[in-house]
Amino acid sequence: MTAGQPAGEGAGRTLGGSPGDAAGPTPEEALAAARARAAAARAAGGYADLGGFRIAPKDRIGTDQLMEWAVLEPDESTMRSTRRLGAPITYFKRALLHVLRQYHGELTAEQTRFNMHLLVHVAELEDRIARLEAERGR
Amino acid sequence: MNVHQVLSGAGPHDAVSNQARAFRALFEEWGWGGADVAAGIDPRVGKAFGPLGALDPASGDTLLLHYSAYAPRLRAVLDRPQRKVLLSHNVTPARWFWDYEPRIAIQCALGRQQLPEYAARCDVVAGVSAFNAAELGSDRVVPILFDPAGLGAPRLSEPAGPPTLLFVGRLAPHKRQDELIRLIALLRDNGVPDARLVLVGEPMKPWYLEELERLGDALAPGAVTFRSGLTVEELAAEYAAAALLVCLSEHEGFCIPLLEAFHVGVPVVARPVGGIPEVADDAALLIADGDLAVVAELCRVVLENAALRGTLRARGAARVEHYARGPVAARLRALLQE
Repeated sequence: MTAGQPAGEGAGRTLGGSPGDAAGPTPEEALAAARARAAAARAAGGYADLGGFRIAPKDRIGTDQLMEWAVLEPDESTMRSTRRLGAPITYFKRALLHVLRQYHGELTAEQTRFNMHLLVHVAELEDRIARLEAERGR
Repeated sequence: MNVHQVLSGAGPHDAVSNQARAFRALFEEWGWGGADVAAGIDPRVGKAFGPLGALDPASGDTLLLHYSAYAPRLRAVLDRPQRKVLLSHNVTPARWFWDYEPRIAIQCALGRQQLPEYAARCDVVAGVSAFNAAELGSDRVVPILFDPAGLGAPRLSEPAGPPTLLFVGRLAPHKRQDELIRLIALLRDNGVPDARLVLVGEPMKPWYLEELERLGDALAPGAVTFRSGLTVEELAAEYAAAALLVCLSEHEGFCIPLLEAFHVGVPVVARPVGGIPEVADDAALLIADGDLAVVAELCRVVLENAALRGTLRARGAARVEHYARGPVAARLRALLQE
């Protein structure tokens, strides 16, 4: 194990613990110990925030987001076979998409037109409600 | 007695399909007949499940609906006169998918909307956890039929090599593998420089795996391993080599990996969400803190304390005992025969 590496303690050893371990926290005490250690580490400049890909759940979808989603742009690369040795099937599926691209283009354009107009109506209604509520409040 | 199992979808590695297979083996032990069908079948499952159209129950048969995803075609099953038992495996809230997989998000939203209607039209409603059952206003629970045989005997020694954190679960937004990658990076920067992370699970989509791989390469180069499509022996080897199972999922209906870890003797750190608190009870360290520094320090506390690990191991063994095959099978039989 790496020198000074706390996690290596006990590795490869028969289970059961050792007398030296008896002073460790119980499961009920472990979280409080971790919080205290984290606070101390942060105070000493440890645990810098990390960026990158981060999942964020969405509860309320805003109009701007809906506008973005309303425009249908299917990604052809997601069309694939899940079968073993499915590469020829994937190739066939994508070739089929290519052959039918005119039809699909028409279909997505019509659906996008509907989505966009519907959203414009929703946005106008939202504005109208806001205006009426404001008038009522005066 | 004939029990026909009806699934919304059958796949090669998903928990619900595995559960249906385990139930079928049990039914055969009991001398019961019936067939297993699914509305959607992954070609990799072979012949274990037939298409929904193959469902042909006799008048006295029982239909066991495993509900885990939106499946409009199952509605026709509700119109059948046979006795219907619904077992809810839970449906993940759509909020975790809207930004990443709209199709799955829609299925989740519709699935959660549809579930109460299905429950109302079944004769008996149960969940695989009290959490799942309570969502449908039921207190009937038939837990997962947990069979640890494939994982081998509990391990007798601590794993050698660098400390390895393990998580087993589909690569999907609500399972928060992104947080696990950040966690391993923080651990490596704060006292455990050779910590590794192994993520076992089928990716929701290839692009999602690529996104997580990129994150791993950026934050903890060479320290994150992705594995999928494992045989049970390979999964057992991953558990045997793990120093800790860490589950930062934001939603779990039951969480079988907890029991798998308890069986092998791997300490568990997990978020107390969904069915996790009732499955883990006092055998896991449950942490609701959003601050990953606290999660990292909790992992270090476990890794540094053999006595703590020993206590968790003993409690974990008791949880496995709690979910022993015999009592769970008896609950299932009672549910189906009442």
